Amino acid sequence: MALSAEHPSERPDGATAPDAGDVPARRGRVRARRAAVMAVPATLVAAGLAVLTAEGALGVQFAISGMPFTVTATELKGDGFAQFGGMREMAEGSPNAGDTGGQVVVVTSVIKKATLTKLCQSVNLGGTNLVIKAGGGKNKVRASDLTTDSTELSGNARFTNIEIGNDASELNKAGPQGKGPKGVFSQQSDTVRITELRQTNYATTAAVFRLPGLKLGFSESGC
Amino acid sequence: MSGVPRGKFRPAFRGWRAGRPFWGGLLLTLGGAEILLTLKASLDVVLHVGMQGLAGYLLPVVMLLCGLLILFSPSQRLFYSVIGVLVSLGSWVTSNLGGFFVGLLLGVAGSCCTFGWLPDQEPRVSRRQRRKEARAAKAVAQPLEREAGQTA
Repeated sequence: MALSAEHPSERPDGATAPDAGDVPARRGRVRARRAAVMAVPATLVAAGLAVLTAEGALGVQFAISGMPFTVTATELKGDGFAQFGGMREMAEGSPNAGDTGGQVVVVTSVIKKATLTKLCQSVNLGGTNLVIKAGGGKNKVRASDLTTDSTELSGNARFTNIEIGNDASELNKAGPQGKGPKGVFSQQSDTVRITELRQTNYATTAAVFRLPGLKLGFSESGC
Repeated sequence: MSGVPRGKFRPAFRGWRAGRPFWGGLLLTLGGAEILLTLKASLDVVLHVGMQGLAGYLLPVVMLLCGLLILFSPSQRLFYSVIGVLVSLGSWVTSNLGGFFVGLLLGVAGSCCTFGWLPDQEPRVSRRQRRKEARAAKAVAQPLEREAGQTA
């Protein structure tokens, strides 16, 4: 305080004079050079992460829910497939509930190991769409324990060793995630191959995605 | 707010802000909140999935806490900002590409602002004024230099 009393002329004059009594003239401030000490390495690391992800060397995790989003792919191949119906409740008072009463009937599909060609995923953010594209090149998108809750699913599917009409609690081909509630209709198969896949999802959980050739951007139209 | 008259509240808030890296802490807190919003997966699903899914929640929560602690315990800001930047970068892998890049960006920007913040700085001087001062300083320095050259 003694310092500021010594240099009263350094105070910005005029405008701030009325409340100058309450506010100390010497404020804390961000020093650009000091901030750069952290900003430069952080930017480099962020760029490195993005590049590693785009090359498919690094898997990233997704967990979106409550907001409908679309996934398309020209081809999906999977090992260990299970599918069952269910009801998902949104968080109470969720703005996405609309006239559904906060409940959505969904089909849960679980694929233990999936490979997707030309994956495109878009979320409508009101006015604009966030679009993630990957797997367009030589390397395919790989996902493990892919669990999706969809309201719509279309494509040309081929299954091997399919069992239809199991109780959802007795499924065993898609690992621990691929089990539903008791008394619910379900089906499972050893492998699955879907071409021209198109899904409208409400949730994708705990799926580790490897996204070679990642492109993330905003666009007027979705997938 | 209703009890406090507006005229008194604003300067008090200004004074409170002056003593801490306000924008840095706020950005980091908002970044954590944004990532949490993009991961609205119900917790029982996450628990079912296990540790890997839990990390997706853990990192943005740590971001949120670091941001709040920067605001309310600014003396420890260096430690919180370092943790904050590491956790923000880590959220790229665990939580929806860092909340689709937005939360990651907010978190890193907030942490850097906090790291670069120093208390008790000179008041900000506008560029024009600084230039004028520099010119004045030069004008004073030049005759001194000439004098120094003559004596040497």
